[in-house]
Amino acid sequence: MNVSTASTTAVQERRSNSAVWLGLILAVVSLLSQGLFFLKVPGQNALPWLSLVLATVAVILVLIGVKRAFFESQLYRGKVAGSIVTVISLLVFAVTVFGFVTARKIPGTAGVPQVGQKAPDFTLVDTNGQKISLADLLSTPVGNAHPKAVLLVFYRGYW
Amino acid sequence: MDTPEVSRDLEKKAGYTFTILSDPQLDAIRHYQLVHAGGGPEGHDIARPAEFLVDSSGTVRWTNFTEDIRVRARADEMLAAARSIPSQREP
Repeated sequence: MNVSTASTTAVQERRSNSAVWLGLILAVVSLLSQGLFFLKVPGQNALPWLSLVLATVAVILVLIGVKRAFFESQLYRGKVAGSIVTVISLLVFAVTVFGFVTARKIPGTAGVPQVGQKAPDFTLVDTNGQKISLADLLSTPVGNAHPKAVLLVFYRGYW
Repeated sequence: MDTPEVSRDLEKKAGYTFTILSDPQLDAIRHYQLVHAGGGPEGHDIARPAEFLVDSSGTVRWTNFTEDIRVRARADEMLAAARSIPSQREP
């Protein structure tokens, strides 16, 4: 009876494993931050790096927490939670790294028209099946004004 | 690469008033050296994302080339670039 009481007290005194929970929060924030790409917020070029750093720090924190749970189990709780969160954070990390690498596997811009150069003319078909050239776009009045510029957007996907 | 029909549906649905051009043969995309070989769904060749502001003399005045297909130019960046170009004569 005494022994049982003593061990219960010892369990209650073990610290909550904050590294595991902080790691989980960062993993979730990393995942959510990847939705910000499509919102077009200022500083957007840094966002992929932010997601990557968050996911990496999440894994490191969770591993620190799990190490505590298993090797300092008299001090820290979290063996079960830590194991589950390890799997979650590793999945988030894998998804983040895969997305990061895949999304950036695009050709460079060697040979692309640069500022100050003439934009190559082209003739393509619009949504009514009519042929339209860049020269047409640059010379067709908009309302009653001569267009001062044309914005060309080469896109993939609709965001 | 969207066909003119697919783009027409998009135009209607979204209410776009700007011109949408289709480049199924990659004519303009090749001219602008923007081909992303095998970059599209099912390994089709498509364009890497790119934005150009061309003034009425046909000169490129502003460009944006993302390094990450998820990250694109914002409308306010493009508008600021357009505003920096002086107005042209009346037609």
